[in-house]
Amino acid sequence: MIVVKNLRYKYPKGKDYVVNGISFEIREGEIFGFLGPSGAGKSTTQKILIKLLPGFAGEIAYQGRALSSYTDEFYQDIGVSFEMPISFSKLTALENLQFFQRLYRRTVDLEPLLKRVGLWDERHKKAGEYSKGMKIRLNFVRALLNDPKFLFLDEPTNGVDPANARIMKDMILEFKQRGGTVFLTSHIMGDVDELCDRVAFIAEGRLREEGSPRDLKLKYGKRTVKVEYRENGELHTQLFPMEEIKTPPFFRLLQEKEIETLHSGETTLEEIFIKVTGVKLRD
Amino acid sequence: MTNLKTLIRGEFGRLNKYGLFKANFVVLLLWVFLAWFLEGEALLQFIPFIFLMDSVMMTILLVGATLFYEKKEHTVNSLMVTPVTENEYLLSKVITNVLNSLLTVFIISLVVYLLKGVTYTYWQVVPAVALVTVVHTLIGIRLSYGAKDFTSLLVNYMVYVFIFFLPPVFGQFGLFDRSVARFFILLPPEASGLLIGSAFAAIEPWKIVFSYVYLALLSLLLFRFVVKPQFMAYVMRETGV
Ligand SMILES: Nc1ncnc2c1ncn2[C@@H]1O[C@H](COP(=O)(O)OP(=O)(O)O)[C@@H](O)[C@H]1O
Ligand SMILES: [Mg+2]
Repeated sequence: MIVVKNLRYKYPKGKDYVVNGISFEIREGEIFGFLGPSGAGKSTTQKILIKLLPGFAGEIAYQGRALSSYTDEFYQDIGVSFEMPISFSKLTALENLQFFQRLYRRTVDLEPLLKRVGLWDERHKKAGEYSKGMKIRLNFVRALLNDPKFLFLDEPTNGVDPANARIMKDMILEFKQRGGTVFLTSHIMGDVDELCDRVAFIAEGRLREEGSPRDLKLKYGKRTVKVEYRENGELHTQLFPMEEIKTPPFFRLLQEKEIETLHSGETTLEEIFIKVTGVKLRD
Repeated sequence: MTNLKTLIRGEFGRLNKYGLFKANFVVLLLWVFLAWFLEGEALLQFIPFIFLMDSVMMTILLVGATLFYEKKEHTVNSLMVTPVTENEYLLSKVITNVLNSLLTVFIISLVVYLLKGVTYTYWQVVPAVALVTVVHTLIGIRLSYGAKDFTSLLVNYMVYVFIFFLPPVFGQFGLFDRSVARFFILLPPEASGLLIGSAFAAIEPWKIVFSYVYLALLSLLLFRFVVKPQFMAYVMRETGV
């Protein structure tokens, strides 16, 4: 759906390339996660993809056509939420949404959406009086109000409480089930693991790794099984290569010992993140 | 077209919610209050001054205030990812201000007619005020985007007033030599004053024609070569959030 080839970008006043030759593809109907430490160039890439930053080098094709050949009608089909929540602070939440709604040909009913994210009862409150989490949810609703085909979400659950993050994640998954495509940037690996069909890791403007979370975990993990068991009150650990789990020693252990835990050696996205970007996650 | 209508509606809605309409209205009441004390010739000289102040100074102030809020709240970004074009956005600002100035013309004209029975050639006032407001909306946008914060916006504003507005005013009191004063028509507020004044007093036709052509051309040039590029740069800077 979106094909990016050798994308490079430098801010007009910056001296270094913030995005430095990255290529990837976002397929129709998938959730594509764009991961990396802060300052890696995730938000910049998103802004290029949504036609906010002209003057990039490289190619971006959206449904087979160069992005630059699209007019502002392009925006009829996409929904965007920025990293920072943005709204007219002195208008109510509902007034904010209604204003944006009138700019689109196709819109959705706001009531079920607002009810879903828990803002319906406070729809007449000024957006400026919303808490950070509420503002983020309001922005999420705004991204959805034109019934988009493509969602661009910059750190969508960052700053939202777990219960509401759960609801937003469910909504993102439902959006995909209805055939939507999602580009999502994040540094919350749990969310990414749960949502994304494929991910790309970037650091310092370069793509470091790409693949499905599952494939990456296999690639970076150890093909082993770790068994922890207790014997005479003491904890013991034994490691088996994946090839050996069909052999008698493994079965004997399972039968004879008091097993406490069993772990396959696949790694977590978080560990992969640290490995490929060379940066520790902050939160 | 529908986008433009929505944007203008939005502008008026926000002028109201952000209290700017109220501020505008208070100023309007002050003008009415002052006009109350004037009669005859003095009143006929005062009315064009009201229109000039409103379509030059008030326009710049209102534009400055709205853009200040937009900057503070980073709302331009979210508009730029809707089907709204840059031209529609800028045009909505211009049209909103023109409508606003014409509203002032309407209210003042109605009041002085009802109170004093004063009339004038309205069909000359309307296009003059509209054009003057167009130019000064663009100048207001230019001054706002050139400012880092509200303080420097005020400084820009004062500099504009001192350089462009005061000389012609002092010129009226004969503080400048004639050879200098005849170039004042090149200052937008002076050309603006001429146009608006022409509905109230006889002014040489060439000056009226010149002012119309000059301000129209200035608007086009400002839009194409100053405001639009500045806006694009601003949107790009704004994406730093
Ligand atoms: N508007 C801007 N002008 C200049 N530099 C910017 C701007 N926005 C971001 N940058 C720089 O570009 C780099 C990448 O930023 P960003 O894309 O926001 O990273 P991320 O979203 O991955 O945290 C950073 O070094 C940042 O300072
Ligand atoms: Mg970011």
